[in-house]
Amino acid sequence: MSSDILDGLYRVVLDLNFEDAEDLAKKSIEEGIDPLQSAEALTKAIREIGEGFAKGDLFLPDLVLASKVLQRALPVIRAEIKRQGKKTHTRGKVVIGTVFGDIHSIGKQMVATLLLSSSYEVIDLGVNVKSSVFVEAVKKYNSDILAMSALLTTTAYEQKNIIKDLISKGMRDKVKIIVGGAPINQEFADSIGADGYAPTAPLAVTLVNKLLGLDSGG
Amino acid sequence: MRRGYIRNIEPLKILTDTQVEAIHRGTLDVLEETGVRFESQRALRMFKKNECIVDFENNRVRFPSYLVEECIRRTPSSFLVKARDLKNNLRFGGNTLYFMCSAGARISDPETGETRVATMKENNEAILISDALENLDYFPSYTPYFEVEGVEPVMLCPTSCAMRLRYSSKVSRGAQSVDTYIWEIQMAQACGAQLLGNMEAASPLSYSEDAINAGFGYAEALFPIYIAGGGVMGGTAPVTIAGATISNNAELLAALVFFQLIKPGVGIIANDIEYPMNMRSGSPAFGSLGISLHEAAFNQIWTQFYRIPTNNCAAGFPNSKLFDLQSGYEKTHCAMTSAYSGANSILLHGGVSAELAYNPLMAILDDDLAAIIGRHIEGIVVDSESMAIELIKEVGPIPGTYLDW
Ligand code: B12
Repeated sequence: MSSDILDGLYRVVLDLNFEDAEDLAKKSIEEGIDPLQSAEALTKAIREIGEGFAKGDLFLPDLVLASKVLQRALPVIRAEIKRQGKKTHTRGKVVIGTVFGDIHSIGKQMVATLLLSSSYEVIDLGVNVKSSVFVEAVKKYNSDILAMSALLTTTAYEQKNIIKDLISKGMRDKVKIIVGGAPINQEFADSIGADGYAPTAPLAVTLVNKLLGLDSGG
Repeated sequence: MRRGYIRNIEPLKILTDTQVEAIHRGTLDVLEETGVRFESQRALRMFKKNECIVDFENNRVRFPSYLVEECIRRTPSSFLVKARDLKNNLRFGGNTLYFMCSAGARISDPETGETRVATMKENNEAILISDALENLDYFPSYTPYFEVEGVEPVMLCPTSCAMRLRYSSKVSRGAQSVDTYIWEIQMAQACGAQLLGNMEAASPLSYSEDAINAGFGYAEALFPIYIAGGGVMGGTAPVTIAGATISNNAELLAALVFFQLIKPGVGIIANDIEYPMNMRSGSPAFGSLGISLHEAAFNQIWTQFYRIPTNNCAAGFPNSKLFDLQSGYEKTHCAMTSAYSGANSILLHGGVSAELAYNPLMAILDDDLAAIIGRHIEGIVVDSESMAIELIKEVGPIPGTYLDW
């Protein structure tokens, strides 16, 4: 029975079945299945989706839908993990958003989704995000990574303001900062004091792994 | 110098009348039931006063259908924009077709496709070249380059506008980002010119505060207005052409109501920049079939059904990074479809590399393409002289020729 449900959780991701995701997660708890195992089944599946995407076998909507399944199932499982006094295994927490003045969302969403599929916990603040909101989120979630997207030359400098705000609040050393988007390059990232830059979403995952001293596996 | 081509052919109808009706009704449905997000208290108050249903907490405006249709009727079928030099004035609408310069962030190397930030000298030379091109009628905002060496980012849009006003006497469109409209309006007025004002959606179904502020500013300066949706098919708009047409229409008609409430009768040109997303990389599929199909439907609805002028923007941005065969066919099938389906303006000159770059050499090549497309829609003369029936009879079969007539 337990393996049936675990298999179901694994399948629900591969089938991109977000409609049944939450019910299945609840059922796993009712049946007394170890929530850590349930979380592992979900992450194993999303990792496979991520790999399929990286190879070019799957498309962006597959990735986004699979992450939607996780967003429905994981909170239920995580709450149970917490209730049982156990610890969640994620690779780390990432706060991500597009900076103030900028509403470009597609690239940011790709980075967020690929990080999620690589077993990171991702807090997506959306677009047009004010500096104070980034700073608060980093504090509230105690995040390992702050990822900022900017598609306009005019808003790229907003990333610098956020870094300044983190410095003035004494929080700069607590979080690794990465930046990206069409007008950004390594030189710019260095000039504003970011910890890293990546030109594409898959390379953003590699970058985060590197900054947190993790290998590329799940 | 000529300004614009006159269309003398029946425009393409890709949709049946029933399909046009269905798309229009679908749009009204979305506007009335779902509504559009306007991130501006001032705009929300104005909508409320004019019988829209306004949710102030969520910045949502729902539009009664009668108001939308009333505002479509209020929008003129053609309007004038004053240039710095009278001979470059433009009257958008009706059967006229103009060509607009492209915008690219950086300068592209024609040999390698690599891009880099342009210098001010390169920026101004590119404007001078565009000013001289016969078939290039006007400029969008932040053209030719969005980034110029040595200019602070916050000053990019006003500087770009100032340089266009200085080095060209053709019409320009104003920008909407971060309050730059305040300076751009005054610069244009100081030269005795108008700008095409600008307000662009943040798809899906939203307008951000700085776009709305710019909208108020341009309308109050009594400038005509360029409105744009911003959907990406499969990303920020439905993946189907019909669905993307409806979400784009809803964004544009919401903007049209906004402007007709501020300034009844203001001239409006509606822009189409919808493109399909590459479902592997998320990047724009410029130059693709989805664009020309969308443009055809869009132009039919706006120019033939609403009788409101249109511009097509996605036509002029090829995905190719080079001046090559790919770039040629990508631009040609999109721009040709735009022209045939009734567009009043097409963005064409100089764009390379998926809206990321510009090159004046490309603009020169594109000027030829513009001439071909423009000449095409002027159609052909069919009268007793051009039919040459008497002549054909006279020359007869071989050994007759037409060389000695
Ligand atoms: C789609 C689009 C829009 C849509 C956005 C819809 C939406 N909801 O996202 C709309 C129409 C609304 C829009 C509006 C504007 N846009 Co725009 N837009 C684009 C366009 C065509 C594609 C962007 C895109 O989706 N790319 C695909 C994604 C997948 O790529 P990406 O975002 O670069 O992300 C990848 C990487 O950069 C990286 N990445 C992204 N974020 C991050 C973050 C981190 C931490 C890391 C590590 C990596 C990373 O990973 C991603 C995946 O591989 C580009 C041109 C282009 N070819 O890029 C112009 C472009 C970005 N826009 C531009 C401009 C100027 C504007 C406007 C100012 C136009 C105006 N008239 O006012 C407004 C600004 C609105 C605002 N306040 O933000 C310019 C910017 C120029 C510059 N150098 O500053 C561009 C380059 C086009 C141009 N040349 O004019 N735009």
